[in-house]
Amino acid sequence: MQPGDEDLVALARKGDHKAFEELVERHKQKAYRIAFDFARDREEAKDLSQEAFLRAYTHLGNFDGRSGFYTWFYRILVNVCLDYKRRKKRTFAEEFNEAVESQMEPSQVSQKPPSPDQQVLAGQLSRKVGAALEALPPKQRTAFILKNNQGLSIKEIAEMMQTAEGTVKVHLHRAVTALRQSLAEFA
Amino acid sequence: MAQDDKMAAVACTQWEEDLVLHYYGELAVNERAAVDDHVRGCEPCRFYLKELESILPLTVKPDEPPQTFWDDYSREMRRKLTQVSDKKSWWQNLASFFQPWAIPVSATAAVAILALTLALGKGFWSSKDVPQDDEVFMEILPAAENLEFFKTMDVLDAMDFLEDMGSPGKGSA
Repeated sequence: MQPGDEDLVALARKGDHKAFEELVERHKQKAYRIAFDFARDREEAKDLSQEAFLRAYTHLGNFDGRSGFYTWFYRILVNVCLDYKRRKKRTFAEEFNEAVESQMEPSQVSQKPPSPDQQVLAGQLSRKVGAALEALPPKQRTAFILKNNQGLSIKEIAEMMQTAEGTVKVHLHRAVTALRQSLAEFA
Repeated sequence: MAQDDKMAAVACTQWEEDLVLHYYGELAVNERAAVDDHVRGCEPCRFYLKELESILPLTVKPDEPPQTFWDDYSREMRRKLTQVSDKKSWWQNLASFFQPWAIPVSATAAVAILALTLALGKGFWSSKDVPQDDEVFMEILPAAENLEFFKTMDVLDAMDFLEDMGSPGKGSA
């Protein structure tokens, strides 16, 4: 029988590196995906999710087991992503190049290479979505990404954000309203 | 084709939040039924819901890294964890070096704090027994007034004595 996350945490606390490496293996894809939703960039998402794992490792002593390791770790991850977003100021040119490049990757859109018109539209959409998400206040962005992109329940998001479910609903509604207004032209 | 002047649909204000939750499947059965009933008879809300269905999926940027990416990820992570562990053990070694000193140092600190507290506390408590300047003055003032009275009486006595000396019947007394 496989040990649970909490068992692995207990082992890691005693200095068992392998136990923590196992936790990384279990959660790396999900962690990366959340980081990618915030950063919208592969390398940055990798760095952010790894940074979150390292912070979790060095602060394992603070994990009191009241919530699951999953919830505790993803709270750290979201904070790392929000801190990063606050620090980072990206230029329009960087985002434009990145959006166009990423849309040119064949695995991302369809098997057929997109037409120049489609590429332009996709690049425009990606930029617009990125900017609209960036413009959201951190709590709205977090609630939106965790619900819309990760499919977490309102209850899970509330636990992760350490707030009431009603508050998460309000954040989500406001985020959706703002995004609708920004992206109405693509409807 | 995108139209720049296209406006977002306007739903009934009191239903908007429920429409968002309906889209995400976060409503209870009865709430969902109520929203469905409303949407059937309300065109703006129906349009709003359709708009959510077309816009919100666009916000998810697809990304499926290849297996090599995950292999690199794990390798890098192991390396970083080893670095952090080494740093951690350095601190742990330092902490263990100071471990035997922990009790004597704590005890000395506790004694020092106690002594300081007593010294300062003594000054504080004794200062409460000392009367204020005003109070001292009020106590001294009547005594001083009495002194003046007695001095005046002495002068009067002396004058009586002189008068007695000066009078003819008593001069030789």
